[in-house]
Amino acid sequence: MVAQFLRLKLRLLANLFRRSPWQVVGIVIGLLYGLAVAALFVAVLVGLRFVEDVELVRNGMVVAGSAVVIGFFLFPLVVGIDDSMDPRKFALLGIPNNRLSLGLALSALIGVPAIALALILAGTVVTWSRGPGETLIAFVAAVLLLATCTLASRVGTSLAGLLLSTRRAREFSGMLGLLLLVFMAPVAVLLFNVDWASNGPDILTRFAGFLAWTPLGAAWASPGDAAMGEWGSSLLKLLIAAASVYLLWLAWLGLVARMLVTPGREAAVRQYAGLGWFDRMPSNAIGVISARSITYWSRDSRYWVSLVMIPIVPVLVTLPLAIAGVPSHYLALVPVPLMCVFLGWTMHNDVAYDSTAIWLHVASGTRGTADRIGRLVPALFSGIVLIGLGSGVSIYLYGDWNALPSMLGVSTSILLAGLGFSSYTSARFPYPAPKPGDSPFAQPQASDTASALIQSLSFVGSIILSLPAIGFALLGIFVDPVWHLPALYAGVGMGVLAVSSGIWLGSRVFDRRGPEMIASALRA
Amino acid sequence: MKSFGQNVAVAGVDLEVRAGSFYGIVGPNGAGKTTTLSMITGLLRPDSGSIQVHGIDVWARPNDAKRIIGVLPDRLRLFDRLTGAQLLYYSGILRGLDNETVRTRSADLAAAFGLEDALNRLVADYSAGMTKKIALACAMIHSPRVLVLDEPFESVDPVSAVNVTEILQRYVASGGTVLLSSHGMDLIQRVCDHVAIIMHGKVLAAGTIDEVRGENSLEERFVELAGGRKVAEGMEWLHSFSD
Repeated sequence: MVAQFLRLKLRLLANLFRRSPWQVVGIVIGLLYGLAVAALFVAVLVGLRFVEDVELVRNGMVVAGSAVVIGFFLFPLVVGIDDSMDPRKFALLGIPNNRLSLGLALSALIGVPAIALALILAGTVVTWSRGPGETLIAFVAAVLLLATCTLASRVGTSLAGLLLSTRRAREFSGMLGLLLLVFMAPVAVLLFNVDWASNGPDILTRFAGFLAWTPLGAAWASPGDAAMGEWGSSLLKLLIAAASVYLLWLAWLGLVARMLVTPGREAAVRQYAGLGWFDRMPSNAIGVISARSITYWSRDSRYWVSLVMIPIVPVLVTLPLAIAGVPSHYLALVPVPLMCVFLGWTMHNDVAYDSTAIWLHVASGTRGTADRIGRLVPALFSGIVLIGLGSGVSIYLYGDWNALPSMLGVSTSILLAGLGFSSYTSARFPYPAPKPGDSPFAQPQASDTASALIQSLSFVGSIILSLPAIGFALLGIFVDPVWHLPALYAGVGMGVLAVSSGIWLGSRVFDRRGPEMIASALRA
Repeated sequence: MKSFGQNVAVAGVDLEVRAGSFYGIVGPNGAGKTTTLSMITGLLRPDSGSIQVHGIDVWARPNDAKRIIGVLPDRLRLFDRLTGAQLLYYSGILRGLDNETVRTRSADLAAAFGLEDALNRLVADYSAGMTKKIALACAMIHSPRVLVLDEPFESVDPVSAVNVTEILQRYVASGGTVLLSSHGMDLIQRVCDHVAIIMHGKVLAAGTIDEVRGENSLEERFVELAGGRKVAEGMEWLHSFSD
């Protein structure tokens, strides 16, 4: 029975390679990357064998290792990976629960994450091979850790499958993951600001001292304790680790038993009165298409992710610059243009986000111009608000109101140029996007690398087209304030030119390539 | 004519659908029904051949042709983050109707298809049958001359199916043309006046129901054309139960 599960998993992995050549290339690169990272860690761990400061090595390993265990548990919950070995798929085969659970858990060992982990754990055995007793304990701890992580990821995946089976729950978990990332940013900053040279070991010791007695870090700490001669606490921690594996196993058994008899969860259905944005927009093609876009921006988690990223990016960019010592009043000028880059770029694959639903536009003979302009409306509205308010705040922080025209010019140019590029590329080069209802992070492999490349170029393109405005603005800031007005004219002129030619080209493509857009959505 | 790489999906389908007829296309899975209908509605570009709808070449003057065709595709998504009411409104306006007309027609269609209670819910939360019905309603909202429906009755409950059939029959009686595909021989035999049997991308038989089926039922004729039934032998083990 177990052998069959392992064979099934191997077969599933082998079938990954029976796809289009580009996808196989992507998978191979992913595999090599995983193995390279694992090899790097193994090398470091082997090197640690010869480090004398045993306590430091142990503490570092406990903290890093605990993060690994948490990662194995949380990653499937947050990202919501597609589970090819979902217990529910075996529900109709009538396999006894114990054997099914064992088979599924063991089959989870075949896979890139588990193999990489096994390699790294083998490395830890080398690190602690400082005597027969230590080596033995390190080996037992490594086996326990492999079991812990595998079971934790199985439990995480199954919990995700069980709890997040409704559409809305899935979408919220994706957002939750993103917010988690956002809250990591301050933590990272905090960690940056610690004076590691003097306080580092102290903080590490405190953290490790706590984690070493939890199921997360016990197995990582046990061989280190042994190496320090504290055999009692080493064995005790090994016991904790073994107990946590047993508890995880029980949880896994319970989950499998539960899942076999639980079909998908039913969601409470929400009612929406009236036509929403459709009531507020004019009743023509441009009006309804923009109303539909705005509605999707507020209802579809795939759009949320790109929208939430827009305010985060400037934080991620300016923080390191601030730490590096760039004067803060110059930094105040960065966020608004940067957000405009991303706002203009959010639309660059908009047609692919519709998936095959785009047939409605094709079958009804919707004019390309109406489609193109309608889709831009939400980005334009939010762009006007962003540039209007954002520029004011930025220049207030910067302290010289003479620079306001430059700010407006550069931001407008970047936003409009980005929207112009997007208008053309989304019709001409759609590439596979997460399907409606999928996790926003489930980015499918782009089988057509060329179009993905062109899409990335459109990102740079908006900045290149804005170079005149940026140049004048820089002259205005550093040389002579008279350059600020030319920056405004150049920016607005270039932006209007770019967005109108983008819409014009995009409309022609849309009118001509309707069936091809459906075909590409069907392929995705 | 349409081929995908080496696969010839439709190898020369020659069909004449008279205005005002209720025309059914039947065929086994993978026969090329969806491919044919997609080419008629302008959703899939044919490799060669021409399609005329009321004298308009669909691929030469697509916008004129699309105005008089209503489409229900199979297996294509809808904009399902809209509520039923929003989707109807969206389709109507895209088809060039004005605000007033769309609103009255939406209400009529919702009543006819029994969707009144579902109009304010997201289409993503609909059952398969309800999704089919709202898509049908969207296909009809601009009162086209020709309705091209791919599997309109799949997963629709029997009561609604009778309802839909009645609506379609009245539409045909007033001069509209319906072209639909289905696996359900019984249903085609009951509601359609013309039928074509398609297999491997070719038309095997076409004409009025009576011409095509001759003495037999449509199902028997279909199985005969499909190369006869494979007699299920050698399955005796199925009759001796394992416990």
